[in-house]
Amino acid sequence: MSVAEVEKPQPSDVELARKSAEGDGSAFEELYRRHFRRVYLLSLRMMGNPTEAEDMTQEVFVNLFNKIGSFRGESAFTTWLHRMTVNQVLMHFRKRSTRSEMTTIEGETPIQIVKGTENPNAMPVVDRISLESAISQLPTGYRTVFVLHDVEGYEHDEIARMLGIAEGTSKSQLHKARLKLRQLIRQQAASK
Amino acid sequence: MDCAKSLELLSEYRAGALDTTHRDGVSSHLSLCTTCDEVFRDLDTIVQAAAALRDEVDISFPDERTLWQRMVTEKKITIH
Repeated sequence: MSVAEVEKPQPSDVELARKSAEGDGSAFEELYRRHFRRVYLLSLRMMGNPTEAEDMTQEVFVNLFNKIGSFRGESAFTTWLHRMTVNQVLMHFRKRSTRSEMTTIEGETPIQIVKGTENPNAMPVVDRISLESAISQLPTGYRTVFVLHDVEGYEHDEIARMLGIAEGTSKSQLHKARLKLRQLIRQQAASK
Repeated sequence: MDCAKSLELLSEYRAGALDTTHRDGVSSHLSLCTTCDEVFRDLDTIVQAAAALRDEVDISFPDERTLWQRMVTEKKITIH
């Protein structure tokens, strides 16, 4: 391989999206290769289940394939795809909720505050595994808001718009989610 | 401020989103109540750990090629 080949600049996401929209399959495959892990990771965090996340990743890329022509380059491609993934997961939750499987955004089980005096030990070290495990046990409504805000960095007004809820509800759900996580992490530590 | 009110406001307190009266009320309460202070510190730990997850990639991913082939084989994506 020549130096020129090694240093050949990679096409940008925007360029690949444009080529994909024109029917270039290899350009779309390259987009998939670049963003597959990010889409899967976000799906996994929001859904809490690897099998569902895998199916969702597939759905997102099929949707992306069909809508790639609507990408105008007004935002970064990653932002656009990220939002598409979030919307797709939320749509999945809504469909599931019509089958009465989803816990509603309101009315979760009251959270019991674990007092320090009940457990004299400090909060256990919150490593990635224990936190991921606890997140996966959250009710869907709590998990969605927590992942969007605390993991993905969305603001409450954005979350409220995406979920079709009041901003105050987003804040309230986030706080309850954090308290629930605290309870779950302590329970995990106590059971070890 | 009592424990119940303080606990209700901890996330907003952490975000710096409370007005002066409520912020000072929570702050005073936390300095006196070890239980609520512990909850606050735990929530802070969780928030920081969650933010760190954003860039974590140390998980088991499904096989990228297999998933791609499945989409193509099932003609969900038609590559020319």
